Amino acid sequence: MTERTIRVDYLARVEGEGAFRLRMTGGRVEEAELRIFEPPRFFEAFLKGRSYAEAPDITARICGICPVAYQMSSTQAMERALGLRVDPALKDLRRLLYCGEWIESHALHIYLLHAPDFLGYPDAIRLAKDHPEAVARGLALKKAGNAVLETLGGRSVHPINVRVGGFYRVPTREEMDRLRSVLSGALAEAEETVRFVSGFPFPPVEEDYEFVALTSPDEYPLGEGTVTSSAGFTVPPERFEEVFEESQVPYSHALQSHRRKAGAYLVGPLARYALNHDRLTPRVRQAARDAGLPPVVRNPDQSIVVRALEVLYAVEEGLRLAEAYRVPPRPAVEMPDPVPAAEGVGITEAPRGMLYHRYRLGEGGIIQEARIVAPTSQNQARIEEDLRHLAERTPDLDEARLTSALEHAIRNHDPCISCATHFLKLDLVRQ
Amino acid sequence: MHEEVLLHDLVEKVAEVSLTQGALRVTRVRLWVGALSHFSEATLRARWPGAVKGTPAEGSRVEVETSDDPNDPRATGLFLVSLDVEEGPPGGSGGVPSRAGPGPG
Repeated sequence: MTERTIRVDYLARVEGEGAFRLRMTGGRVEEAELRIFEPPRFFEAFLKGRSYAEAPDITARICGICPVAYQMSSTQAMERALGLRVDPALKDLRRLLYCGEWIESHALHIYLLHAPDFLGYPDAIRLAKDHPEAVARGLALKKAGNAVLETLGGRSVHPINVRVGGFYRVPTREEMDRLRSVLSGALAEAEETVRFVSGFPFPPVEEDYEFVALTSPDEYPLGEGTVTSSAGFTVPPERFEEVFEESQVPYSHALQSHRRKAGAYLVGPLARYALNHDRLTPRVRQAARDAGLPPVVRNPDQSIVVRALEVLYAVEEGLRLAEAYRVPPRPAVEMPDPVPAAEGVGITEAPRGMLYHRYRLGEGGIIQEARIVAPTSQNQARIEEDLRHLAERTPDLDEARLTSALEHAIRNHDPCISCATHFLKLDLVRQ
Repeated sequence: MHEEVLLHDLVEKVAEVSLTQGALRVTRVRLWVGALSHFSEATLRARWPGAVKGTPAEGSRVEVETSDDPNDPRATGLFLVSLDVEEGPPGGSGGVPSRAGPGPG
């Protein structure tokens, strides 16, 4: 028996937080379970006892990709609870901030996570070697989105300028002029992105999705609206929990959402586009026609084109808001004093889909109960169905290629899962 | 939020290295913890016996070097520095450095 020391110098990494268990008999899928191992984080629990004013900054930490979404849904819920009416100019600023997040998040998703799947590269680094102009375009768009976040949010990662009732500080005219110039320059990049991704190969696959998204009469939804389903109903945000429920499945730490007495549903770009196509701008609708997209897209792979259209929309809408900017007379509306006991709900459209927040406040505005339903959770069950159908369509793929195809199918909807599961562990049993 | 996963990843690496190096078992593991890594030495020590249960590192001793330099380029990281392993009779796998050097950074 001898002893020796082995030098390793290995950096521990967050990867492989997901697994897909697939049991097939012949070509038939008997079992398909998407398992997420990431431990629960208990945000809803530790919000209890904190001030209503802290919710935007605490919940923003839930996601490093879409912190603005958490700020928007939490502020909306608090403002509804307290009966606050935010000035229209401040609402426009929030919409502009949200455009920034859509641009940077979608650009990341499209170019750094999803495009390599279509072009046969394992990652964006390898993609950049052969297509440096494409990756540079993606980074330029992401930078434009970051500029919006920096101008309105104070910094590009986890912005700190959003508060219940408005902002801590609003931009100067000069700052907004600089931003307008950035967004103006990004328009051509966004249009080229639609052309770039619409040329990818899309196998003729359609899924029978129930789409759920916010809708509002006058605008493509970002910060507010009514919950609408392609199954033919609408509900106000306050009734969200009556219609949709989150539940625990025994094989995953992540919760799954379903429509009560119905089943899985899909939120995100495909849903927003299908339910709000006529509220896109003429330029975006023309880009969709040029890309060959119908007003309702059920091919999950083509989500990348819809996501690109949303980038174009967000750049154009952001530019419109920046051009129309007048420095508001006040950065935020007054808070009630004392803060009463109250309850409120907020739903906004995160890049990956509807994000629901509900808070119950006690006297003094102390949070007594918090409920957050993220788009990742809402899409989980529907993604699992996509994976099942993919496995049924491709029973003969070897394990490595099937794993790669499954990762691609997850990235059709959600980089929050897939970037952490770039090494999705496939537990495949063929009988 | 990712402590469990990082620890799991690290233990998997320990198992992989010991296996590929033909070790019988791992007796000691040296870790390096950056000042901004959100890991504490106490947490690692407490979690270690459970994390390595059922692996070649079960029963191993863990030694943790903690950096207090937030400007270290590796400050956010948790590193597996080295393993001490027991091997079978001479003639097994060779060509591996016999001593660990200093920790990262």
